[in-house]
Amino acid sequence: MDGRRFADMMMTVLSWAAALLLTGMVVAIIGFVVVRGYSVLSLDFLIEPPRDSMTRGGIMTPLVGTLQLVGVAMFFAIPVGVATGLYFAEYARDDMFTSILRLAIRSLAGVPSVVFGLFGLSLFVILLGFGPSLLAAALTLACLTLPLMVTASEQAFLAVPKDYRDASYALGASKWQTIRKVVLPAAAPTVITGIILSVGRVAGETAPIMFTGAAFFAPHIARSLFSEVMALPYHIYVLATAGTFIEETRPIQYGTVLVLLLLVLGICSGGIYMRSRLRRLMRR
Amino acid sequence: MEKILVSSRGVNLYYDSARVLKDITFDVMEKQVTALIGPSGCGKSSFLRCINRMNDFIPSARVEGEILVGGSNIYAGGVDVIALRRNVGMVFQKPNPFPMSIYDNVAYGPRLHGVKQKDRLDETVKQSLVGAALWDEVKDKLKTPGTGLSGGQQQRLCIARAIATEPEILLMDEPTSALDPMATARIEELVRELKKRYTVVIVTHNMQQAARISDRTAFFLMGDLVEYDATPKMFTSPEDKRTEDYITGRFG
Amino acid sequence: MKDRLPGIVVKGMSSAGIFIMIFILYFLFREGIPVLKAVTLKDLFFGDLWYPAENPPVLGMFPLIVGTLAVTAASSLLALPFSLLIAVFVSEVAPRSVRELLKPVLELLGFFPSIVLGFIGMVVLAPWLQETFDMLSGLNLLNASVLLGVLTVPIVSSLAEEALSAVPGDLRDASYALGATRFETTRKVVVPSALPSILSASLLGVMRALGETMVVLMAAGGAAIIPLSIFDPVRPLTSTIAAEMGETPVGSPHYAALFFGGIVLLLMTLGINLLSAWIEKKGKLVQ
Repeated sequence: MDGRRFADMMMTVLSWAAALLLTGMVVAIIGFVVVRGYSVLSLDFLIEPPRDSMTRGGIMTPLVGTLQLVGVAMFFAIPVGVATGLYFAEYARDDMFTSILRLAIRSLAGVPSVVFGLFGLSLFVILLGFGPSLLAAALTLACLTLPLMVTASEQAFLAVPKDYRDASYALGASKWQTIRKVVLPAAAPTVITGIILSVGRVAGETAPIMFTGAAFFAPHIARSLFSEVMALPYHIYVLATAGTFIEETRPIQYGTVLVLLLLVLGICSGGIYMRSRLRRLMRR
Repeated sequence: MEKILVSSRGVNLYYDSARVLKDITFDVMEKQVTALIGPSGCGKSSFLRCINRMNDFIPSARVEGEILVGGSNIYAGGVDVIALRRNVGMVFQKPNPFPMSIYDNVAYGPRLHGVKQKDRLDETVKQSLVGAALWDEVKDKLKTPGTGLSGGQQQRLCIARAIATEPEILLMDEPTSALDPMATARIEELVRELKKRYTVVIVTHNMQQAARISDRTAFFLMGDLVEYDATPKMFTSPEDKRTEDYITGRFG
Repeated sequence: MKDRLPGIVVKGMSSAGIFIMIFILYFLFREGIPVLKAVTLKDLFFGDLWYPAENPPVLGMFPLIVGTLAVTAASSLLALPFSLLIAVFVSEVAPRSVRELLKPVLELLGFFPSIVLGFIGMVVLAPWLQETFDMLSGLNLLNASVLLGVLTVPIVSSLAEEALSAVPGDLRDASYALGATRFETTRKVVVPSALPSILSASLLGVMRALGETMVVLMAAGGAAIIPLSIFDPVRPLTSTIAAEMGETPVGSPHYAALFFGGIVLLLMTLGINLLSAWIEKKGKLVQ
């Protein structure tokens, strides 16, 4: 074999090896968590709050807290994110406002999550006086997920065939009527997949909520927007680093990691699968 | 004295279970232009891609039969596909220069095959561009991107790139279909010139083009080779009724 | 008039993105700049001692900045070539069925929660490193870099793969028809054609590693020293902020210094982000 064919074979072998290594690592990580966490997983684990200085009991409080955080964050992020996507796809002209908005969204996408935490701390917690709370943490998460939501919904709107719009305009519909009656319904399923992905991203974030509202421990679930909440990712961090019984609570830690992983990857794979199905439908 | 250079022996091509070419048997003569004509989907382009084994990239494609180039079967085991493609150049439907300079486009093939000396490369690039009738237009801007040329110039650049590896055979897959009439005329002129040194097999959907530039014409219809003969005969007194119908424009 | 109202509302709502970005910059500077009352800019950047709890606090961020750069550089060195290899595999080498499977999996891994990787680094990788290589502690630069790599590879390889796949097939055909091998076609035609997007994707990966918090917080060891080897622990800016913000009084020099660290982080990531956007745009103009 000469050098050229050898180099060609090397590329094939190396790239296969890289792919197998990546797959191996991911399978090992997930497998490890499943094997270690599986034993504590039960219905009781999900519906019981942590007890006895978090050395026993379940993860009901942080699980519900995460769902509350996601819910409130989405309440703010969805309208703004979808509106911005709609603006880019339907209204944006090639002007100053549009380029500044694009620049802002692109910049937001790169802001480190801990910096969002600082921002949330100074604006929502201190200046607006929400204190460390469900509301402050959720607003911080909403800001963090905005770029993802915008990009996903813009793509969803752009994927609506131009014929639909033309047909609507030809019937004498106005721009807003066309958007509301034709574009929004046609894009809605894809927009929803974008929302699902955002939910997955938000549910797994830790750094932005560490000083804006995540509680080390709370005896019960948050009953007001201004209470602190426990959250799954932060609960993992607390149990693994700051608890008094780090070694004793390992099984609980693995169990919590497993639940978080199932939650995030489950939601996101649902979103990705749905989107690929929709794309295939659209292409027909 | 006519000499056979490419010889197709009972070639069948399948995509999965669909049979796209059926028992194709005919010979291509050295230093002639052979035109493959027929309505779209008849298998003429697929056959062309069998001659340099470009169908290898389609996972579902399977070839039966033999194609002999210079006497040896290119579908035999252990055939060096890279050497084959060096000997059988190809020009595509749409001009596809690489996004690199004119010089680097033409030097791409020779460099692959191990030519390193600057003066030899310079000479090859020049000869190839001269051979593709492009030299006079680009000799002062060899370092500019090949993608900046006009469509017709791009296609001649692709021809120069194909002949730079000094192939014996040049396959052309509807090389003028994306070009305007002026550029087309220049390419046709060039093809007549090229056959002095190369054996050309050209796929075209344009019958006038086949009549103008080819020595022999093969008419394909739904995977069959219907008729193959000297071009003047094909266009004046075809043997087969279907050939006549096609040539006189009754279908296709 | 009635039809213009929705447009105005939509535009008004979308301007929220601009305000959020401006507010982030404003609040970071508002809270961070006062640190200069307690310490000079030179000492802040180049002081090599970080004892924020002393009285008066010693706020030299040099080890933190070096820690951030070290962990970013080490993880990029590991992850970027690997990502390119994965991208080449998916786009050029893999059989179709494998590609169809791997593409969504890569995208999914982009959503992998970083806390989980930090946790793995802390309870699995660190003890293993400690035993296997007889180290003092497995929580170090190497541990954090490997896990950051796991985090960035899916992101970079997904984007790079899209760039490679977007290279027109007829360029590949032309190269193969001249007798090039797959490697030669990839190296000389496909990768160069996609280079701007590949660079831009790589920069986004670097940016992600630079700003990542939980992995370095849990796996990097947290010592505010200048690392001399990959087995030394580090304390990057992100983990410093995350670890200390909860324990410092609002308005103190330490508090301001942490915000100042946020400014440094934000300006670095913003710079990389805009450079990446610029390269992407430039690449599009050329084609």
